[in-house]
Amino acid sequence: MNYFQLFGLEEKFNLDTERLAQVYQKLQRSVHPDRFAHASSQEQMLAVQKSSMINDAYQSLKNPLKRAEYMLTLRGTEMPNEQASFKDNMFLMRQMELREMLAEVKFADDIDAAIFEATQVLEIEFEGLFKTMQTQLADNTEEANQLASDNLRKLKFYQKLHLELDRLEDFLFET
Amino acid sequence: MALLQIAEPGQSTVPHEHRLAVGIDLGTTNSLVASVLSGEATTLKAADGSDVLPSIVSYQNDGTLVGDAAKAHAVTDPENTIVSAKRLIGRSLADIQAKYPSLPYQFCGDENHPELVTRKGKVNPVQVSSEVLSTLRSRAEASLAGELVGAVITVPAYFDDAQRQSTKDAAKLAGLNVLRLLNEPTAAAIAYGLDSGKEGVIAVYDLGGGTFDISILRLNKGVFEVLATGGDSALGGDDFDLAIADYLVEQAGLTRPLSPSLERQLTMQACQAKETLSSAESCEITLELEDGKKWQHELSKETFESLIQKLVAQTLRACRRTLKDAEVTSDEVIEVVMVGGSTRVPLVRKEVESFFKQPPLTSIDPDKVVAIGAATQADILAGNKPDSEMLLLDVIPLSLGLETMGGLVEKVISRNTTIPVAKAQEFTTFKDGQTAMAIHVLQGERELVDACRSLARFELRNIPPMAAGAAHIRVTFKVDADGLLEVSAMEKSTGVEASIEVKPSFGLDESQIANMIKDSMANAKEDIQARMLKEQQVEAARVIEAVQSALDSDKALLSEEELAVIENALSTLAEVAKTNATDDIEKQIEVVNQATATFAERRMDSSIRTALSGQSVDKV
Repeated sequence: MNYFQLFGLEEKFNLDTERLAQVYQKLQRSVHPDRFAHASSQEQMLAVQKSSMINDAYQSLKNPLKRAEYMLTLRGTEMPNEQASFKDNMFLMRQMELREMLAEVKFADDIDAAIFEATQVLEIEFEGLFKTMQTQLADNTEEANQLASDNLRKLKFYQKLHLELDRLEDFLFET
Repeated sequence: MALLQIAEPGQSTVPHEHRLAVGIDLGTTNSLVASVLSGEATTLKAADGSDVLPSIVSYQNDGTLVGDAAKAHAVTDPENTIVSAKRLIGRSLADIQAKYPSLPYQFCGDENHPELVTRKGKVNPVQVSSEVLSTLRSRAEASLAGELVGAVITVPAYFDDAQRQSTKDAAKLAGLNVLRLLNEPTAAAIAYGLDSGKEGVIAVYDLGGGTFDISILRLNKGVFEVLATGGDSALGGDDFDLAIADYLVEQAGLTRPLSPSLERQLTMQACQAKETLSSAESCEITLELEDGKKWQHELSKETFESLIQKLVAQTLRACRRTLKDAEVTSDEVIEVVMVGGSTRVPLVRKEVESFFKQPPLTSIDPDKVVAIGAATQADILAGNKPDSEMLLLDVIPLSLGLETMGGLVEKVISRNTTIPVAKAQEFTTFKDGQTAMAIHVLQGERELVDACRSLARFELRNIPPMAAGAAHIRVTFKVDADGLLEVSAMEKSTGVEASIEVKPSFGLDESQIANMIKDSMANAKEDIQARMLKEQQVEAARVIEAVQSALDSDKALLSEEELAVIENALSTLAEVAKTNATDDIEKQIEVVNQATATFAERRMDSSIRTALSGQSVDKV
């Protein structure tokens, strides 16, 4: 049973997240270890297992990038590992520029404005890539899936940049 | 003979046996025990009518004192009177000495297993905490007139794995069956949520004696979902006291080290001053110095607030980070619940109010709210409320990971992941013919090993010799509903399961606990054999009851032969449990467990199916 089937949902990228949350809570109500605190140790062990599995399934479907990754795995699309090199030179150049932009934030005259601007830039580029990946996932041809997998990898780069910006913000706030 | 039996339709005619269960708030400064009595959670009182037990243990020649009796010795006999043991539990010696350089105790033991020298010999922080828990257990058993089936013990949400494990060990040592370790802010949220019936995002700001937690939760139809938690497991009201004490030392022109008795006097005076300044504008401090002279000083509220300003700001930074982790803004928070005695400090309330842009809720007694929430949870876990709709979804506070090449930490489970959770990561060998691999488990957010907490070191041996990179070593992390971690590793490419050896870096291993329990019983002149027999009999009764009730509702999932096997095993167990053959009872429990394995699995799957089909019916 795959995670979509587990939650009784259609295998689509655009899913009803409210329904997902509802089913999740319903499933946890039936298997959560708290319900088995006075049951046999056998059942307690199983409850932990099932509950962990449902948590993992929920996280895999709730987060859009994880959901994309899970769908591509189900479709048998090969996922390049993190160390594999990128052939897309344009993209790599852009990543370097963005890194420079982040490095300069702390020297800006108006740091708040610089952080705001950097966030905007990252978000716009993320959104663009995300929409493309969405369409490719919907196409669901072997070629489209491969392209979606490339874009997913690029989106993860943006996610990392965003995280670095968050850390930078924390750091500037606290000192 | 009963002439008439009245029963509600659909309910069992057998009166439901109320199982005695308690919630215990094991605090840095004070501890409490509470239980649900006729539907309402209330704190249980000692014979003298007090419900708050100071978490102080004093080792005297004529016995071990706990609570107010121990407090009386705090200044006169500081080396043998342990206060705030919660600040020491599950920590390394270096950690303790760096954080609290002026503690009056004599430490011994090795780096990872610090002990305190008292006149009654060496004691470790787990034993000290277990004395407090034992006292509360006796109080509960006297007050409820019966034996407890179990307890929910609260811990700071920000406690790491070693601190949690040590707390659970302390409870075991005190003879308590731990139903669950519950995070303090989550316990407070239960008490608040059930009381107010409100739904939406709430923040719980919990500043206790020694720890600070901030949790952001979403409350929705009986579901308590923790979105994120943050804090500092070494920041609390005690630090306010230390700040005052340091100031007094400076003002009085004293130089450290001071005598243990003067140190204790200083902290107690500081604590007194802090409490007075919650309602007064200034207070008078009198110290009795070592030369017998008296030193007096007037401390103003303003000075006090300037001394603690930095500490309060530290808590607000954690609030900001945690809101971000929860992916909510402070505008979405509908209520801020204040927990812990230190939230009585006016500056704390003022700063929290301006941060969340709303007055915090202080109507529930901040000292009791955690114990009340824990008691509510204990009542449900013990099985007294089978129809309860409550569901707690808690998270781990700190990321868990493994050491990789170059002293870096690779995260396996990130902070604020809902528990229980299981995650596996694959690694490989980096030398030809490598047959062993060292696995180092860490907890924390930093990237460098040295900046994280070391939890355990494993060694995976007997890896078949292969070329570098050919072995597939799968390391699995499992975190249970108590937030406790279990790690296992295996080499899977050859199908050979290699052995692992676990050595907890901190805290105690199973045999140490078993020995301590034995020792404590030898002291109490209890019969160990009798106690072990009793434990197995209780377990047997629990298993029989659990399986019987499972059969009552789901017999249909079994074939006739399968049912016969289970019933046979059960009746044998019932027979054996009447004898005093402890080992045989234990063996037969295992037989029943084996016989019911498939049944349990089917029941679980069937309840998942029911939950799902219920969902689609709702949708129609």
